[in-house]
Amino acid sequence: MHSLIEKLISRLPLDFRILCRQFLLRVIDLEALSIQADVTGFLGQFAGVLIMLSLVHAFVTYAGYMSFPDAADRLAFCMHVEHYLIATMMLVVGLFTVLSWDATFPDRRDVMVLSPLPVAPHTILFAKVSASAVVLGLAILTLNCGSGIVVPFLVGVLHGSMWGFYQSLAAYWISIVGASVFLYCSVLTIQGFTALLLPRRVFLRLSAVLQLAAFGLFLAVYFLQPSFTNPVALADPQNHWILASSPSYWFFALFNQLNGTLPAELSWLAGRAWMGLAIAICGAAASLLLCYMRTMKKTIEEPDLVPGARGLHWMPSFGGSLQAAIALFSIRSLTRSRQHRVAFSFYLAFVFGIALNLLRDELASPGPSQVSVDLLMPTFMMMTFAVFGLRSVFALPVSLTANWVLRTTQVRSPEQYIAATRGSLLLFAALPSWLLSAGLAYGFRPAGQVAAHLAILGLLGWILSELCLIEFYKVPFTCSYLPGKSNIQLVFWAFFIVCLPLAVWIANVELDALHHLWKFACLAAVFAAIALGLFGYNRFRARSAVLYFEELPEEVITTLKLSA
Amino acid sequence: MLELRNVSKRFSGIAAVDDVNFCARPGEVTGYLGPNGSGKSTTMKMITGLIEMSAGQILFEGKPIQDDLMAYKARLGYVPEEPYLYTHLSGAEYLTMVAQLRNLPARQSMERIDGMLRLFSLRDDRHASISGYSKGMRQKILLIAALMHNPQLILLDEPFSGLDVASSLVLRSLIQELAARGKVVLFSSHELDTVERICSRVVILHHGKLVADDSIERLRSLMELPTLERIFSQLAVEQDTESMAKQIADLIHA
Repeated sequence: MHSLIEKLISRLPLDFRILCRQFLLRVIDLEALSIQADVTGFLGQFAGVLIMLSLVHAFVTYAGYMSFPDAADRLAFCMHVEHYLIATMMLVVGLFTVLSWDATFPDRRDVMVLSPLPVAPHTILFAKVSASAVVLGLAILTLNCGSGIVVPFLVGVLHGSMWGFYQSLAAYWISIVGASVFLYCSVLTIQGFTALLLPRRVFLRLSAVLQLAAFGLFLAVYFLQPSFTNPVALADPQNHWILASSPSYWFFALFNQLNGTLPAELSWLAGRAWMGLAIAICGAAASLLLCYMRTMKKTIEEPDLVPGARGLHWMPSFGGSLQAAIALFSIRSLTRSRQHRVAFSFYLAFVFGIALNLLRDELASPGPSQVSVDLLMPTFMMMTFAVFGLRSVFALPVSLTANWVLRTTQVRSPEQYIAATRGSLLLFAALPSWLLSAGLAYGFRPAGQVAAHLAILGLLGWILSELCLIEFYKVPFTCSYLPGKSNIQLVFWAFFIVCLPLAVWIANVELDALHHLWKFACLAAVFAAIALGLFGYNRFRARSAVLYFEELPEEVITTLKLSA
Repeated sequence: MLELRNVSKRFSGIAAVDDVNFCARPGEVTGYLGPNGSGKSTTMKMITGLIEMSAGQILFEGKPIQDDLMAYKARLGYVPEEPYLYTHLSGAEYLTMVAQLRNLPARQSMERIDGMLRLFSLRDDRHASISGYSKGMRQKILLIAALMHNPQLILLDEPFSGLDVASSLVLRSLIQELAARGKVVLFSSHELDTVERICSRVVILHHGKLVADDSIERLRSLMELPTLERIFSQLAVEQDTESMAKQIADLIHA
């Protein structure tokens, strides 16, 4: 099989193969990885997490299915799972499009490097599309390798024949692949036509906004859209507009149509899936073709220098000059560097996902809710993701070659630099997360308990920030540490095995403390003592610390492995 | 005064800079010359404290720079060979950040940055992203960043790279003016005409070793050669340049 694939690949034109390999490495921005990163190993770990998730999900689905004794309940359960899988797949593909934003379109680097070479634009186009398709295909395959067999099997069992299993299997994979392709192509279409219709410099600015908007939209739709998977809810006229405007329901209907379980009155929904898929594919193909024919020339003709925004360039005061320099450098790197924005978005996805989930529950309840673990636990998790997320993004270098300026201008002690980094962590992760939690806690009562929880949450933010600073004798964005050097699988499973139970335990302890003043005082004192202890420890260590700047390794020769 | 005493730097056992001794005095522009790979930039990086020496000592005003590296850096201005900058910042943002890192008073740094941007004809583009700047514009940003804190020691590694004629002339005069005001200027370049015009002394490095350290006048008379280019060719160029050019043209069948 392997040799057959190699044989087929070797028949492709050489320039296509070379470009495809290059673009494959650029679909996900690998420049964000550590200079000591094992790229293949890193991607392998990532795939391993997805495969493991799929297998765990398949097991949970099977166990859930077996817990229902009669066939009707089992079918309803399978339908619920199927819609959940389609919606989740669409979320994953959506986040993939955010991660690989612009990767399919020609950028300035491609144009400047490839234009003088005898490479046809269509070769570049096919190579880029192929690279994206390979990564997307691998994501679909790994995330469905377990559930993609188990769910069709369980649905097929209900058909009562072997043919039923094959039918469900085909329905499952067609609807999953269709939903993924639909979403990916829709985003490409919007991006492509925006690039074609707008002046390039306006497009470049709007592209970053679109990227963040898409990120927010995918999360909001996934977490806020209601679940209708039984025939009664699907047929209810009140739900008509939600079904009509939710692509996940179109492809859910498509699955049922191919599986032979779609009620006749809902066939229009499956029709939408087919139509949507056709329009998205045609739109993406047209916009890509036009982009390669028109914008490659436009990219060369555009002036290099984009004038900066006129008018106000006011920035808030961040304290001392060093604190201001580090804070402004941090926020500008986070907002302007694509790889940093995307990496931080990954963590923010968890924060906003939890927040939206909490908001959905709040909106569903008729009046103010009582303070419970349902509030405490999500806010703890949000704080954890925000602070650790920013800390790991701090470890993505923005430009190792430009670090010399920080080294030659270091006229203050490392202790002051570390204090400035602490300020940035608190300002850009702990404080926004705390404010978001405070906003979400507005609908909870009693107010005294909410205020007490917010005080504990603030202390937790401080503790987490101090934990992040242990042995972190670096200026943000100047050294690579993660990802690429860390073991993704270990981190992922450690989170589930250690952090989640710990968060549940702390939430329960806090809930108990909120009902007794002296217990709360003890808890707050413990949190404050931990925070102060860590703060003191970090300050003490910082006095003898030396700021670390990662250097680029000596030049090495990389071969393209084209011979033989 | 900047003084290098028996300074060496080895990379994996290979000497990039080998037992170099020279002084750069206030009021003088010292030219630091050598062919590619001779160890000029490595020396510059050791003087800035970016890389550590394998052996020897670097003294500034009589004190080893390692004794109080932060105080030394506060008095140092450096223009590196390559214009590596944080390109996601605008020119004004980059310079403000450098001023903040150097702990300059806000008002003073703003005045200096604004004035220098205007004099270097960059004021209109100060809010544009550095990623769009030409090489010359980046070089000007590096020069402003190196000079805005009024350093006593100025290290210039290929400062004319990418600059247009007018800016080059301004920079040439500026280097002389700064030296005349008592600064220590160490200037590395491949443009021998410029070096001959503005430097009072030259230090020539070849294969990491010092091969000349004297005033240009004395080198001319000692070696009985009319120009710095001829002196340099004799000391540091091994190849027959004309024959080499011919070979290259032959190789591509021109």
